[in-house]
Amino acid sequence: MKLRLISSALALALAASAVSSAAMATDIQMWVRASGATAAQHLIDLWNASHDDKVVATVIPDNQMVTKLATGSQAGDVPDMVSFDLIYMPDFMKAGFLKDITAEMTADPNYAGVAQAYKDIATYDGKIYGAGFTPDVSVLLWNKDLFKAAGLDPDKAPATLAEIHEDAKKITALGNDTYGYYFSGSCPGCNIFVTSPMMVAAGSKLLPTKAGDDALTGTGVKDVLTEMKAMWDEKLIPDSAQADTGSNFFATFETGKIGIQGTGGFAISALKHDKPDLNFGIAIIPGTAAGQGSAFVGGDVIAIPTASKNADLALKFIHWELTDEAQLEGLAKNSIIPSRPALADNKYFKDEPRVVTTAQALGKGFTPYTLHFNDMVNSDSSPWIQMIQTAIFDGDVDGAISTAQEAMKAIAAQ
Amino acid sequence: MNLKNRNLLGLIYMMPALLFVAAFVLYPFGQLIHTSFTDTSLLGGGKWVGLANYTKIFFGDPTFWKALWFTVKYTLIITPILMILGYLLALLTAQNNRILQFARGVIFMPVVIGLGTSSLLWFWLFDQQVGLFDKALVDLHIASKMIVWFTNVDWALAGVIISVTWKVVGFGMILFVAAIQSISREVSEASMIDGASYWQRVRLIYLPLTARTVLLVTLISAIGSMLAFEQLYIMTGGGPRGLTFTSVYWIYQNAFIKFQLGYGAALSVVLTAIIMLAAAIQIALTARRATQ
Repeated sequence: MKLRLISSALALALAASAVSSAAMATDIQMWVRASGATAAQHLIDLWNASHDDKVVATVIPDNQMVTKLATGSQAGDVPDMVSFDLIYMPDFMKAGFLKDITAEMTADPNYAGVAQAYKDIATYDGKIYGAGFTPDVSVLLWNKDLFKAAGLDPDKAPATLAEIHEDAKKITALGNDTYGYYFSGSCPGCNIFVTSPMMVAAGSKLLPTKAGDDALTGTGVKDVLTEMKAMWDEKLIPDSAQADTGSNFFATFETGKIGIQGTGGFAISALKHDKPDLNFGIAIIPGTAAGQGSAFVGGDVIAIPTASKNADLALKFIHWELTDEAQLEGLAKNSIIPSRPALADNKYFKDEPRVVTTAQALGKGFTPYTLHFNDMVNSDSSPWIQMIQTAIFDGDVDGAISTAQEAMKAIAAQ
Repeated sequence: MNLKNRNLLGLIYMMPALLFVAAFVLYPFGQLIHTSFTDTSLLGGGKWVGLANYTKIFFGDPTFWKALWFTVKYTLIITPILMILGYLLALLTAQNNRILQFARGVIFMPVVIGLGTSSLLWFWLFDQQVGLFDKALVDLHIASKMIVWFTNVDWALAGVIISVTWKVVGFGMILFVAAIQSISREVSEASMIDGASYWQRVRLIYLPLTARTVLLVTLISAIGSMLAFEQLYIMTGGGPRGLTFTSVYWIYQNAFIKFQLGYGAALSVVLTAIIMLAAAIQIALTARRATQ
């Protein structure tokens, strides 16, 4: 009898504990930028499989994310955490929309291994407001079949911009609407992603960080624009590049008629899926001299809005997403580079060395740290895209640079 | 029922509509005007800055005036095209038989497609590499090679006008058909007995008797064109070199890309005033012509 009583009591206690545990579980609301949603979902699924507090993601279209987060922050109607384009971190940190997580991140040993570009972009006035989440990075893509057809070594990527130019000549000479090089000439975001690393690799600093800073310093900007203008004049780039607002940023390479172009790390899985027969290579974007190389570190950061209702749980998730388990089983397993570059050497990347190259690019890449990024770069009327177009298509390299320098300085002074 | 009571009853009947307009038109418009006097940004702010935004528009923003001029040019070109083509199509299809009814349906069909969708469709039809429109021009020997439409401002404008004409010409046509069909058959038949040719009937009977519809369609078309945004945003991205920005596109750039909501609001107020003024002039001129 006594035993039955004890076991009944135990069963009741267990049931009550289960009920109480279920009742205590909280949904962690998260907004995710659409273009990072697939990668984010891998991490969320992994977290949800082993935690009672589930992450519920709401996907926000890319071009609505900033507006929604800004208006939501002002109205106090925000999710518990948010994953968005890292380039907007300085604006949001300055506006006071994000929670200071300096103490928690500095105490987390995994945070120390996060790519420097992410750490830099998520720091304002010495305080940390976010961490790397779903990375992407720009790389150079080349068509090995076209290299072979043009008599070039298909396994050797061009190591300088001059080599890109020379290789492009030989590939364009193949004829039949084949072109050596491609870039989206009317897309400001595409060019900061794939053209600016050449300039940075060649020693230039692009955007002013604060009022009074100079813009577009160093000879790299002029050297790169001059070389690209020459390629345009020699018709090594298709005419359609001039009007491409980004819609053909990737699709043109898939036609198999483009020899070389800059792209993002996402291209590996996309090309393998869409064009399994296309034989392509991935390399670090070169500069103007041998040995130079750089990359634009893009992708999404994760942060906690100041008005988050479950900031503690959100912080728990951020700590977790930096662990080896999340980085390897959530990202690397799905061919996504981890935000901790040291984890690039993992079992999942062994069969795909091209992904390792993107991870290396992440380690040596940069993200421009600036307020007013949209005004300076991303808008369709930005000084950045005006400079690219005027220099390459109109041929006025010096005039284009000096006009852009003045315009960027004026914007930084606002 | 005396006059006072009748007026009160009329007001009560109109109250739902008045409340709707007050809540969803007048109040937001008042807010817009208020915002236009502040430095409101998507990232904060909201300080009263007086006329600073308006001073910037008139003395420090040449892009807005270039965009406005491009918008006016676009409106001046596309409105006559839509009116003339719409009227000609209405004349062709005004009779009620099955073939013409089917033709009206086919011409009207693009009107029910979203402007964004149709713009994207035409963007790809104009593509230099895979565009079927370009391919057709080459195959018909109208063009010697595939055209790159959006690298030159004139070609870009032409491309947008072709796509928008395809999209909306059916709307004017349907209204014109309705107006033509409402003309009394006696009038038309009497003119035929008097020996009037077809084009004389069009000029002297159809056009005067459908003048009100022509005015309505002109107004709708002109105001719609002055507010053009989606088609340029999708097809040209404001390029080349920002030469195809329209006024609304520039407002969008300032408010949502540069985060300057206060300045965007001021631009919107100025554009509203310009459109209201243009519409008033157009109505006055047409009314005077109608009374003459």
